[in-house]
Amino acid sequence: MASALEGLRVIDLTVWFQGPVAAQHLADFGAEVIKVERPKGGDQGRGVRSIKALPVGDWNQYFLVINRNKKSMALDLKTEAGREIMYRLVERSDVFLSNLGAENLDAWQLTWEKLAAINPKLIYATTTGYGPYATTVKPSFDMTVQALTGLMSRLGEPGEPPIYLGMGSGDAYGGLMAALAILLALWHRNATGRGQRIDASLYGAQLFLAAPTLQAWLATRDPRYATQQSRVAARNPLWNTYRAEDQWLMLCAPNRDDAFAALAATLDPADAGLGGDPRFATAVGRREHARALVAALDAAIVRRSAGDWMARWAPLAERRVAASPVATLADLARDAGAWANDYLMETHCEEVHRTVTVRGMPVGLSRTPGVIRSLGAELGQDTEMILFEMLGYDWDEIGALKAKGAIP
Amino acid sequence: MPRALAGIRVVDLTVEPWGGIAAALLGDFGADVIRVDGLGPPVAVGPEDERAPGAWNADAALAQRNKRSLGVDLARPAGRELVQALVARADVVLTDRARADLEHLGLDYRTLGAHKPDLIYARGSGFGPKGPDADLPAIDELAAARTGMMPILPQPGRPPVFPGHGQMYTAVMLAFGILTALHHRARTGAGQEVDASLLAGNMYGASLDLQAYLAIGGERMLQPISRLDAGNPMSGTMYTSADGPWVTLTMPDTDRWWPIFAPLVELAVDDPRFDTHDKRCGAHRLEMMRVLEAAFRRRPAAHWRAMFQERQLSADIIESYDFPAADPQVYRNRYLLAIDDPSHGAQTSLGFPIFMSETPARLDAAAPARGQHGAAILHDLLGLSEDAITALRDAGTIAG
Repeated sequence: MASALEGLRVIDLTVWFQGPVAAQHLADFGAEVIKVERPKGGDQGRGVRSIKALPVGDWNQYFLVINRNKKSMALDLKTEAGREIMYRLVERSDVFLSNLGAENLDAWQLTWEKLAAINPKLIYATTTGYGPYATTVKPSFDMTVQALTGLMSRLGEPGEPPIYLGMGSGDAYGGLMAALAILLALWHRNATGRGQRIDASLYGAQLFLAAPTLQAWLATRDPRYATQQSRVAARNPLWNTYRAEDQWLMLCAPNRDDAFAALAATLDPADAGLGGDPRFATAVGRREHARALVAALDAAIVRRSAGDWMARWAPLAERRVAASPVATLADLARDAGAWANDYLMETHCEEVHRTVTVRGMPVGLSRTPGVIRSLGAELGQDTEMILFEMLGYDWDEIGALKAKGAIP
Repeated sequence: MPRALAGIRVVDLTVEPWGGIAAALLGDFGADVIRVDGLGPPVAVGPEDERAPGAWNADAALAQRNKRSLGVDLARPAGRELVQALVARADVVLTDRARADLEHLGLDYRTLGAHKPDLIYARGSGFGPKGPDADLPAIDELAAARTGMMPILPQPGRPPVFPGHGQMYTAVMLAFGILTALHHRARTGAGQEVDASLLAGNMYGASLDLQAYLAIGGERMLQPISRLDAGNPMSGTMYTSADGPWVTLTMPDTDRWWPIFAPLVELAVDDPRFDTHDKRCGAHRLEMMRVLEAAFRRRPAAHWRAMFQERQLSADIIESYDFPAADPQVYRNRYLLAIDDPSHGAQTSLGFPIFMSETPARLDAAAPARGQHGAAILHDLLGLSEDAITALRDAGTIAG
């Protein structure tokens, strides 16, 4: 099957998550991505041994999934000869992507100025912590930057610790932004022949991630957008989480009289009276007496199972009443829709010689769908072939590069 | 300054804020985005708008910026024909409407793509175009509920948490998918359908937790984990400071950081309980978190921030929205913009999450009023005469 990004060559000098995942998106859709790693140990992501105090097991999903569909080249950029190889690679590539610290890129003479002089059509992409005009200069990972945005401190019940959106949540967003930025820059290059420098940062991406509440807060400075809000005082009690007998439910119904009446009619006879409670007779009443209404619904909904409520509420779809059980990751792993749409996929894992389940494609393209050809490569497995076939070194020269320590 | 997407025309048939933002991202980089504003009541399915009447509509200012608006009554065949004619002169259609509605309006891919094989037709949905839930409403809360993260975000024993940001991943995925399809079209001439969903957005937001569960499995991955039971005391952790704000650390490769970090929390580098990565993340993990909790409580947040900066540690204080709003580098990077709204004066808005040196994003136009550019669009793109436009307006087919 055809690939959308066929013919595009990307140098991926990245470690950990934000940078690698940006290149993963391009690789999934057919770009040739060459991951360049230090000969000793490679990307630090290869060294992840445990997650949540559990051993990662026999295959390191942290590294292998976000580095899928890539080649691996081991190069010691601390050596002059290693840098010469990189420059030759830059000459023959469309994109240079890195998330290494600026001090490394400076020291190894891999700055935008240097590489653009070698290849003026190059897209020079970085993923950083705080952006190209940052005043904060220090190492960054997504949670420590998510912390600055204000996203974390508004989640959860009042008085509880802040809530992190999940491991890699900010990296994933910054990486996606970088992938989009690279394609924008390539579009411009194809039209004009001009390369440029792009950047996506954890800070910028995660501020944008906060848009659903940050934008409203910026306009109003209303603390309810910025601080923890309790579910027991939901602005619309019909749009809220409720605990059924066996499981939590997410209920999404408009604060409208017809939706409320229809919901009340599904309650047990002992609770159905709240449909006639004058406090709850209007949308304004339901908002003003939200605590009382949430408490009444809490008492009513906990009496029956989630499955029971889902069946009772299904016919209410025409009144725009929707609901879902609050699933676990185990439920998601069995989700028919997630499989049908390739959000979950199976692929062969070389390391363990068996089929494994991985995060699939975030976006579908009907004619050129993303594919998984291989999981992350072994460190340096393609070094010599790239030198020989793509960069034109002969075997004697390759031997000399080894002797100089440029390649392992 | 040149624009990255100069010459690309997008017909924006979205109704949800996140769908609008996907189109606005293309407009930010110079695409000509024509927003088709229906003239009926709003059809968005999210929670109600609670703004004070007449207040600056900040959400629309973000989601509809850099667009022109054509107000059309899509209930009328003549209105739908205008949109179809516009699509014939566009490169991309972007929508987040339900499939049944689009089919009913004749604005589905089968209808529009039949006349235009190079059309890129992007649609955002709740749960993707395939499978049993393809036609469930596109509500971020429902998609988040299905993703499996809500139960494990809070501390143990607390209610599930709706994060609210899955939709923002989806918006960027749509833009990324469109660009990918444009690159394919440039090489082959062929258009195609692009789809992204709120479920996919929430799943990508849950990247590592989800992938770790898929690979490792087990009950621990399905339960909330106490902040003092983290896998690595120095990574992904939160501790209390003396004056209230929370401290957070992410230094996964602890060997690299330990010699700098240990003295900061008044521990000896050779403390036999914690002197190797395996001890810190293994046998003495819980003890180390208790020790760190006590250490961070001894001094105020400002002290810790200064120390983290001085020692160049990946660690910080957990802030609220007032922090970035007052952070100069946020404006220098144009992540936030101070803007002057024509009707509402000085405002602060989200800016641009992507930096480009040659083709930077720009705020060329504030969100349009419904139908603001109808006449110009119909004249310039469809060649309609002034009389024809007046007739459409008099008949109520177009607004303005």
